[in-house]
Amino acid sequence: MAQDERPLEGWDPGPIEGAALAEAVERAFDYRGDVTLVRRAGGELVGYLFNRDADAAPPFVQLFAASGGDPVTIPYADIRSIRFTGRDTAAGNSYAAWLRSREAAKAAGSARGA
Amino acid sequence: MSVPLSQMWTVATYVLKQRLRRNPRYPLVLMLEPLFRCNLACAGCGKIQYPGHILRKHLSVEQCLAAVEECGAPMVSIPGGEPLMYPEIGPLVAELVARRKYVYLCTNAILLKEKLEEGLFTPSKYLSFSVHMDGLREEHDEAVCREGVYDQAVEGIRAALRRGFRVTTNTTLFDGASAIRMQMFFDEMMDLGVEGMMLSPGYSYSKAPDQEHFLRRQKTHELFSKMLSNPKKRWKFNQSPLFLQFLMGKWDFECTPWGNPTYNMFGWQRPCYLLQEGYAATFKELMETTRWEGYGHRSGNEKCKDCMVHCGYEPTAVNTTFASWKGFKATVEATLTGRL
Ligand code: SF4
Ligand code: SF4
Repeated sequence: MAQDERPLEGWDPGPIEGAALAEAVERAFDYRGDVTLVRRAGGELVGYLFNRDADAAPPFVQLFAASGGDPVTIPYADIRSIRFTGRDTAAGNSYAAWLRSREAAKAAGSARGA
Repeated sequence: MSVPLSQMWTVATYVLKQRLRRNPRYPLVLMLEPLFRCNLACAGCGKIQYPGHILRKHLSVEQCLAAVEECGAPMVSIPGGEPLMYPEIGPLVAELVARRKYVYLCTNAILLKEKLEEGLFTPSKYLSFSVHMDGLREEHDEAVCREGVYDQAVEGIRAALRRGFRVTTNTTLFDGASAIRMQMFFDEMMDLGVEGMMLSPGYSYSKAPDQEHFLRRQKTHELFSKMLSNPKKRWKFNQSPLFLQFLMGKWDFECTPWGNPTYNMFGWQRPCYLLQEGYAATFKELMETTRWEGYGHRSGNEKCKDCMVHCGYEPTAVNTTFASWKGFKATVEATLTGRL
């Protein structure tokens, strides 16, 4: 189940509870993409998990559903699993693309000057 | 230093009142983020990486004003995202000015000229456009990952100054910045006619695309000492001189994370503008339930180890001015002589 340093995008820990659930919640909180929250009572919610409080009584998570509306609060106890289904928007592609385009422009510039 | 007298007076009386009340924690500047959407994607930015449905959302003016009331800080900084992309930015600023809040609208200025031409804002001593400028043309365009943005920002600054607005600049410095080039940049901004400049080292956001170019403490001291040890009289800085001296290594400050509390669509951000360790539903809850002892340079928190960013340390500098004769004397001296 341990995810270590592997990218979270696409991760599906399966049914979880206790410490494993708490860990998955922490990872989802830090994740800059949507997750799919599977409820114990059935049904799924796709959204951005922006907050959690493991010390509250009872512990809860908060999401903005991808379909819109106000934030939704869900107790840990109602969560069966969390799948990391959305794209990780912090994967850093924009900067890499900029560096590549700048290097290409520089190379083109020096080729013109030569 | 270039902060107008009326603003200095407002801040001074506010801080003295808090001290007389023996309030150990009080906010100085509310960091109000009405949206995360931006028209740039800067290498060092960790603020904009969200799914599309979050980027399309924004706070309502009512939510913003409720946060301003709840917090009570005399100054409101509006960063983002890009606040000029916030559809209610005109009405929001008008409401804040009517409440006599000193507003710093932090913008990359790409849309500034257009918004001014639309007549969205009225000049006021309470409103300052704080334009993101990370150095001369080459350095700035590199930092924001797009050619031509420096020239657009200069055009925006000129348009705002022509209309009688207060304009300041905010500059984030990264590893590799040249002290001489920065001094040339200060000259260029003064030639443009901005009221003052704000400087800060960058923060190593865990979500920022560029993780390599953040200044560590020793390098920050070296760079700021080189840049500022012999400042020209004409350079005006719109920030606490003690904060600049701290960056030069002349003061050993601890962070005041509650000094610049942050509110956005997720709530009140713990513990500061830079870190996202959770959200409180109310300002009171933020102040009363955040484990403040876990943050700051001396806390041992890895995330705070190298941080010298203005949002954590400028409130300490301001507080030092009013907390000791040494701090007061140093502030007055630097303000009168321009020496740091
Ligand atoms: S640093 Fe400012 S201008 Fe640049 S991407 Fe972030 S919010 Fe936008
Ligand atoms: S030291 Fe920096 S990162 Fe840590 S709490 Fe203060 S402002 Fe935030």
